[in-house]
Amino acid sequence: MNHQQLMALLPFMVLATASIVIILLIAFRQGHTVIQVTGFLMMCLVIFTMWYVRDVLPQTIMPLLIVDGYGALFTGLIIFCVLVVGLFSYIYFEEREENPREYYILIFLSTLGAAILTISRHFISFFIGLELLSVSLYALIAYLRTRNNAVEAGVKYLLLAALTSAFLLFGMALIYMDAGSMDFSAIAQKLHTAEQSSPLFLLGFSLMMIAVGFKLALVPFHLWAADVYQGAPPPVASFIATVSKIGVFAVLLRFAQELHLQNNHSIMTIISVIAMFSMISGNILALRQQNIKRLLAYSSIAHFGYLLVAFLPGNSAGVEAAAFYLIAYAVTILIAFGVIILLSAKDKDAERLSLYRGLFWEKPFVAIVLAVALLSLAGIPLTAGFIGKFYVLMAGVQQQAWLPVIVLVVTSVIGLYYYLRIISTLFADVSVAIQKEKRLHPFFYAASYAALVVLVLLLLGFGVMPAIIIPGIKQFLLIGN
Amino acid sequence: MPINYYIFTAIALFCIGITGVLTRRNAIIIFMCIEIMLNAVNLLLVAFSKMFHMAYLANPAKAVTSGIDGQLFVFFIMVVAAAEVSVGLAIIVMMYRNTHSVDVNFLNRLKN
Amino acid sequence: MNISQILFGILTVLALVSALGVVVSKNPVYSVLCLIVTFFAISGHYILLNAQFLAIVNIIVYAGAIMVLFLFVIMLMNLNAEVEPQKSKILKFAGFIAGLCLFLVIVAALKNADEKTQTQATQLAGGDIGLIKNLGRALFNDYVLPFEISSVLFLSAMVGAVVIGKKE
Repeated sequence: MNHQQLMALLPFMVLATASIVIILLIAFRQGHTVIQVTGFLMMCLVIFTMWYVRDVLPQTIMPLLIVDGYGALFTGLIIFCVLVVGLFSYIYFEEREENPREYYILIFLSTLGAAILTISRHFISFFIGLELLSVSLYALIAYLRTRNNAVEAGVKYLLLAALTSAFLLFGMALIYMDAGSMDFSAIAQKLHTAEQSSPLFLLGFSLMMIAVGFKLALVPFHLWAADVYQGAPPPVASFIATVSKIGVFAVLLRFAQELHLQNNHSIMTIISVIAMFSMISGNILALRQQNIKRLLAYSSIAHFGYLLVAFLPGNSAGVEAAAFYLIAYAVTILIAFGVIILLSAKDKDAERLSLYRGLFWEKPFVAIVLAVALLSLAGIPLTAGFIGKFYVLMAGVQQQAWLPVIVLVVTSVIGLYYYLRIISTLFADVSVAIQKEKRLHPFFYAASYAALVVLVLLLLGFGVMPAIIIPGIKQFLLIGN
Repeated sequence: MPINYYIFTAIALFCIGITGVLTRRNAIIIFMCIEIMLNAVNLLLVAFSKMFHMAYLANPAKAVTSGIDGQLFVFFIMVVAAAEVSVGLAIIVMMYRNTHSVDVNFLNRLKN
Repeated sequence: MNISQILFGILTVLALVSALGVVVSKNPVYSVLCLIVTFFAISGHYILLNAQFLAIVNIIVYAGAIMVLFLFVIMLMNLNAEVEPQKSKILKFAGFIAGLCLFLVIVAALKNADEKTQTQATQLAGGDIGLIKNLGRALFNDYVLPFEISSVLFLSAMVGAVVIGKKE
């Protein structure tokens, strides 16, 4: 490993160091605030080092990793999400007087797993990154173990994740048998020379899709999503919805790009069927939900169905669409969970929809922020969600994947119904708004509100002027291609 | 031995594991069945790695791999399985403390 | 029928039967014991494939560490055949059929694929990549990065297990 390769890996080393620093702080009996601030600064340091090493990219670290613009873009998005999740975690855990110090170690280790996924180009790094992500997640989901639901969600996630990773490994073994290698580019070469795709590869990829579909909560592997979102603490749920899914989607996208899967007809059929089922059942299941956490889980199923439509073309336009959509989705879902965290009472999370009735008349700011997030999830113009959906549609139309495109449009309309239903609840005149005393130093509430404001401004900014970010995404994706 | 024998043995082990996951209710036994599935994959990978290595020895110029990556992958799978079991059993013990049972059918409180 | 084929047959039958034993036995302790037998049989397979390092690691890690952990937890909870919950007959049957179907599907899918590889064989003799020297060299040269990452994985497992398992 030479100097430049080490430089390229610097952000990831800083990320790994962050957890060690937290362990040391705990050993020296520092309080929650110190740990929180240090964690925040460490994440800022990771972003700074990413900026610092931008000139040495792309670097291939044989045989496992490749740090290129694509990886840097998704890693940056992941670190940004962790920054926001960490900020919201502070008030959530502090209000509950839990002992959340080890929580930050696990969050950073899990983030490292997701970051490794974005730069992996080999089955071994794919698998280890995925497992680092999920082993930390098991503990995070069950973190508030005195609550019955948290442990139940943890056991569910544990058993299903372990089962699907066995399928993932079986699929990898079959592809290894077929291609004689676990390196993405070597597999691509092998596939290129073969005159037709072999049943071994097809079966292997399908088995791998079980695990990937589980992590992304795609239908029919979505059964855990609602329960885990409901049972896990809201900061962890937002972490699963953003960091974990972005990491897994990034590695899936890289795999498909390297192998030029869009030329493989049967695999494209499988993916578009999964996409359509996810869009349809995600939206339909969300229709009658009275629990806002479960509703967000179902809506995330639908959103990853939309994303798979952008995945179909397999060209650079599709990748750009997917990257933009993921950014818009991450910002939106962070706002939604931020609002849930801010409204949660000490002993119970604010998850019943009835609690949100007439919220506008009690807390106009929070209600408007949530309304903007929901409008963006629904894909209303002037929000980033609209532009993202527009790009995804463009990518789908370009590929002439008519059926998934039609399903996307129709299910978006269905989706509009339940998002608007929540918004109308927010503005209903009967007010039973949540009573909650503020017990922390006002600075932390101010910081959280400021974070929400920044996120909303980003959402609207991307929605009104997508030109401010699209060239950046394009530029990033060009590094290494 | 023909590689087919290994493939079929591994598939049989894998499917026994799946059957166990589907038919048992004890969370610990389900976890053990998942370990059987991982072991089936390990066996498969070692056999493939050996197969590729023999091909490599016969004709080093033509081979894509020397087969060593398969065995290293098995090593990493074992490492990961050990880590997963340690966290997994901790969660299952916690579940037992809360519900006094390791029956997965009791996992139905999360509903509307 | 040479000696390695006979050994292969014995080990395969042993692995499959004891794996079935894990699934069908009512008492969790018997399941654990059956699983240990499976692991030893698979280690035997590794030795036949001249993968001695993995054979030893398999016994130390799986049969030694992981199964002791399982056994310890089962003893701790005092689980036995009487308190062991059972699924209804129909569900059991459905699970069995599903497993069988999956087996047939995978076998059918791979049967044709294997025609070209039928001639490729794995032999007992020759090939020394399974020895500690060669594996270690590869592990600490090319694969040193995933090795480090897996140490981070252990850190996270350790923290996770302590966080979840500690007393109030």
